[in-house]
Amino acid sequence: MSPFAWHPRPMSEKNLVELVIGVTLLLFLAVFPVFGVGYWVSFVLTQTFLIGIAAASLVFLTAYGGMVSLAQTALYGISAFALGNMVTKGAVKGLHLGLDPWLAVVLAIAITTAIGLVFGAVASRSAGIYFLMITLTYAVIAFTFFGQVTQVSGFSGIAGIADRTPALVGDPVTQPNRLYYIALVTALVVYFAIRHVVRTPFGISLQGVRDDPVRMGSLGYNVALHRTLAFTFAAFIASLAGVLYGWWNGVIAPDNVGLGATVDLLIVAVIGGLGRVEGAWLGAFAFVVINNYVRDVSVPVLGGSFNTVIGLIFLAIVIVSPSGLMGLWDRLWDAAGYREGSGPRAAAAAGTAGPQA
Amino acid sequence: MTEAAAHAESAEPILRLRGVGRRFGGLHAVSDVDLDVIPGERRAILGPNGAGKTTLFNVVAGDLPVTSGRIELFGRDVTREPARQRAKLGLARSYQQSRLFLGLSVEDNIFLAIVGVGRGHLRPVVLPRKDAELRARAREAARRAAIDGRLGDVVGALAHGEHRQVALAMALAAEPKLLMLDEPASGLSRGERQLLTELLLALDADITLILIEHDMDIALRVAERVTMMHEGRVIVEGTPAEIRANQLVHDLYLGSHYGSEPEGGASG
Repeated sequence: MSPFAWHPRPMSEKNLVELVIGVTLLLFLAVFPVFGVGYWVSFVLTQTFLIGIAAASLVFLTAYGGMVSLAQTALYGISAFALGNMVTKGAVKGLHLGLDPWLAVVLAIAITTAIGLVFGAVASRSAGIYFLMITLTYAVIAFTFFGQVTQVSGFSGIAGIADRTPALVGDPVTQPNRLYYIALVTALVVYFAIRHVVRTPFGISLQGVRDDPVRMGSLGYNVALHRTLAFTFAAFIASLAGVLYGWWNGVIAPDNVGLGATVDLLIVAVIGGLGRVEGAWLGAFAFVVINNYVRDVSVPVLGGSFNTVIGLIFLAIVIVSPSGLMGLWDRLWDAAGYREGSGPRAAAAAGTAGPQA
Repeated sequence: MTEAAAHAESAEPILRLRGVGRRFGGLHAVSDVDLDVIPGERRAILGPNGAGKTTLFNVVAGDLPVTSGRIELFGRDVTREPARQRAKLGLARSYQQSRLFLGLSVEDNIFLAIVGVGRGHLRPVVLPRKDAELRARAREAARRAAIDGRLGDVVGALAHGEHRQVALAMALAAEPKLLMLDEPASGLSRGERQLLTELLLALDADITLILIEHDMDIALRVAERVTMMHEGRVIVEGTPAEIRANQLVHDLYLGSHYGSEPEGGASG
């Protein structure tokens, strides 16, 4: 799934295989609503796209910035709450400002990105477990704020967001294909935007910050600023997921950004793989499918519940392939390369056998 | 330090330390160091392990704050400036343990060294022409450090000697005015040491070099002046020939081997 980039990197055999798989998958998804089951369009796949976008913001921060953020769910919630407050009107909770739907979308994204800038500026001076704790604080603040400040929500949340969508989106219930395609295109734009950014000076230096922040300082970089802006970019991505979620669910409530939801997004990212952006959507798909179809499966002794099953799967992934499903694919490819003894990964993995002594 | 003062008269120093000290709790890693390095000079800093050489590098580069004294770089007081500001002024350093970005390719590591001292740290778009120019400079630096055969390889997969080469390429790529190398020869093979020595001798005359090195052959061939440190203090400063002849240096560091050696390219 390599982008059509013009930086002169030779395409490896693996890149080519991934490109073919990616294009095939995209073509399939592009025509799916024409033949597909309505439930899969409106529920499984649309949800996969938008959860994947939120998870991609987390994978971006983790894979390229070395920052495991627990605030991404809170940020997409903030975006959905902002949208809900601005777009709804009449006798609903919140501010029900009744703004133009497009204006509300733009403002929701702008507000979330600005809050991401402030959150990022505060968190950027810490790293590792401390960064994790600060972002956990953001998650708790968002949940408590929207629960207790009844002017903007209250625990029952804001309903009626789906009634006030832009004309392009239409009614997500009667016209689910529109939201499906909008979510798909947004996911693609996010994917390629991340793929592009990580090849730019900003993205490469962010990876430098990930590997050795002190060294980056001595090379002339402002490490805290880099972290802050990366966090802001991730907040922007999460805000897109929040807008889509508002339309798709129609309701946004504090429970959607609570600790359970926060952990769910982390699980999605870990199942997909924290090392590669593609993993975000793979993990989201696995999560949504398991959530839908394994709900009623009964596990011996432990009983039947989604949490038990997803917990066991999570455990298996963390033990078998810490870099998730994408990592599993990478490892399978390497294993195949070793067996044939000719794959480019095999040569790279062999290490010292390079052309230079 | 009358000797340092006399030496400094020849030109405005590029680096001037006055009474610089760094304490770690009760340990005085560096105490009351005065140092003047003039533009274009090749300076070696010698001393046994624990003499405070690397700590001195750390405070000069800004990786550690001083606990006393004053640091002037290019005529400017930088005592309170962070490392990144000193890098912008034209200081580049390498580390004893090559601190590289293990998840990035050789070319990207050098690319970061170039972008770091220039503009556009935060540019979030690829500019094909600009990036091609920056990458050409990165590849040229890799060629000078003889690591251009592994440009696309992830640094984490390279061997130790190659890490030293990448570190050197990064230091060169930044086109610094003041280059500080911390034991660049450690862990290198004999052939690699030879390459390194040639590279250091061929360095542009306007680059100032400060070198920490335990390999006396390299240090005394490359350096014009030598500063000898012991227990955090500067104990002797002079030309390589003077250092060889100094009894104190012998007792503390060199041993008998170097003192009796008449030749050895002291002029560097």
